[in-house]
Amino acid sequence: MMSEQHIIDGCIRHNRKAQQALWRQHSGYLLAVCMRYATDRPEAEDMLQEAFLKIYFNIGEYSGTGSFRGWLRKVTVNTAITCYHRSLRYKHNVDIDDYVSTETGTAGFEEDFCNAEDLYRVLGELSPGYRMVFNLYAIEGYMHHEIAEMLGIDVNTSKSQYSRARAILRKKLEDLADMNKR
Amino acid sequence: MTEEERNDGLEDLFRKKLEENEMETEGALTSRVMHSLQRREFFRFNLLRFNIYYLTFSLAALTVAGLILLTGPRDAEEASGDGLPQQAVTAARTDEPVLQGEVPQAGDTMKTSALRVRAATAQDEASGTVDTSGTITEKITGRETAIPHTRPVAETVKVSTVNTAGINTATGRTGPGNINPAAGTTAGGRIAADTTAMILSFETSASSGCVPLHVSFACNAEENARISWTFGDGGTTSLRNPDYIFDIPGSYRVTLTAIDSRGHASVASAVIEVWERPKAAFEVRKNEPFDEGDKVVFVNLSSGAAEYLWDFGDGVFSALPDPSHRYEQMGKYNVMLIAWSAEGCADSVMVSDLLTDRGMYIRFPNAFIPNSGGPTGGYYNLRTDEESSVFHPVASGVSEYNLKIYSKAGLMVFGSDDTEVGWDGYYRGELCAPGVYVWKVRGRYRDGREFIMAGDVTLLKY
Repeated sequence: MMSEQHIIDGCIRHNRKAQQALWRQHSGYLLAVCMRYATDRPEAEDMLQEAFLKIYFNIGEYSGTGSFRGWLRKVTVNTAITCYHRSLRYKHNVDIDDYVSTETGTAGFEEDFCNAEDLYRVLGELSPGYRMVFNLYAIEGYMHHEIAEMLGIDVNTSKSQYSRARAILRKKLEDLADMNKR
Repeated sequence: MTEEERNDGLEDLFRKKLEENEMETEGALTSRVMHSLQRREFFRFNLLRFNIYYLTFSLAALTVAGLILLTGPRDAEEASGDGLPQQAVTAARTDEPVLQGEVPQAGDTMKTSALRVRAATAQDEASGTVDTSGTITEKITGRETAIPHTRPVAETVKVSTVNTAGINTATGRTGPGNINPAAGTTAGGRIAADTTAMILSFETSASSGCVPLHVSFACNAEENARISWTFGDGGTTSLRNPDYIFDIPGSYRVTLTAIDSRGHASVASAVIEVWERPKAAFEVRKNEPFDEGDKVVFVNLSSGAAEYLWDFGDGVFSALPDPSHRYEQMGKYNVMLIAWSAEGCADSVMVSDLLTDRGMYIRFPNAFIPNSGGPTGGYYNLRTDEESSVFHPVASGVSEYNLKIYSKAGLMVFGSDDTEVGWDGYYRGELCAPGVYVWKVRGRYRDGREFIMAGDVTLLKY
């Protein structure tokens, strides 16, 4: 087992062993990050490959301050944003279903009724723009004005997309909970 | 986003379940990423690793070395193998024209001079070659006939009096010799009587004219001769007396080749000039609204023309390039412009029904978007009212005018006696509801004609 510093130094020298060690230690975590941003698993794997190539070639830029895992995650999220921008060039449309406002209750969710797989599936069903905003705001913890800047959209667009994404997710989770009860 | 919406724990659920989640990355994905990493590294510059730069360099070095090794012997081979076949080819080429009676082109001086030399040397063998400046060429290659090669030959293009264009006068072209056009055909016949072969000639219905030029050709070749015409613009035919249309301006050399029953080839040619036509075009500028006695200006937009004739349609003509004209009264006038080029080719264009109305009209839009900031009083400027925030007519030559606008409930929301004042969408300081409103207008044009119109307009929300 190589130490974190060994791995980083090895990767800077393009040492094959260090590169493999980095992959072994962090690919599972970063794949889980990519899953949140992707429609399905193949897309997430493509994203992960791109993110790792970025990491391998730019690992020298990691300053050493802050957690290494956090840096890896940030590079991965940025890769996801790049992929999203690239995909925008081909898909300008938003499904009409996504615009239908849904009536939602205020009952809280219990943690046990669904697993991570269900959440990935529900996220994957969102349109890419909604998924992006939801991820960045709810999980990554960015503010709306930061998201607006990263995605090149208006602050209000970010806010409204977030609330719509939230409503859709809520509806889907409620349906899921109903199904599990039965 | 209200706090209430937040409290259902949706974000917490996602964060807890997904934030620190790890997934299994199977072997296939690992090897895929590693391969792609190796590929990328190979294409990136790195002193320590064998990559594309080293590969390119070694390939280049190998190529250079290979070239140095190979070029030596190959050069020697090429030098020894090249000279001989070329000689053989040139020898074959010099034989060709005499054997086959190929036509020497006017521009191909090299070949004609070569032929002349050959003709001089071949005199003893009783075969002659006659070549007069490339217009009419006759070559007799058979051994049983002999023609003195000094005999004067004339180009016999007879120009008929038929003139398809009707404007230009055709000019006859005669070559060296004293044959007048009228006797063109007999001249050919007389020479033919002297010898066993007949001098080939042809007649054209025109030697020059305006595009598209239709020319009829007629040749005097013997009945069963093989005929071929080339028209100089890429067109060819084997018809005996063809009709041809030249549709691009230019100068074309028409060549006739006839091979008679004994295999003798004869050639005759003539030049056809095809002139470009001018393009007639003009614009009419007049006041709007138009009053009797106003001057109408005609702006000449023709191209390629030297002379003009204007017919103003009221019995008055002008030859000025850019005339103006006063019409005594309103009416339907057909103005025609004829333009001639320097060669006499003509084109014409006509504008019909000039001055049918006096440019008096009134038209209304069918929708507008009132200014939401408050009433504007309905004054508008045609140039600045781009947002169409005022409902108003576009009118010309209107002297009396009354507009009334009603809501669906029948309430009259607006009235105006001035075309310059339209409706701003407000009624008693209040913005009217979006929807359809009905308008009615009555009035009089300046010439006394009355108009009554009605329609609807949609008030749109800003």
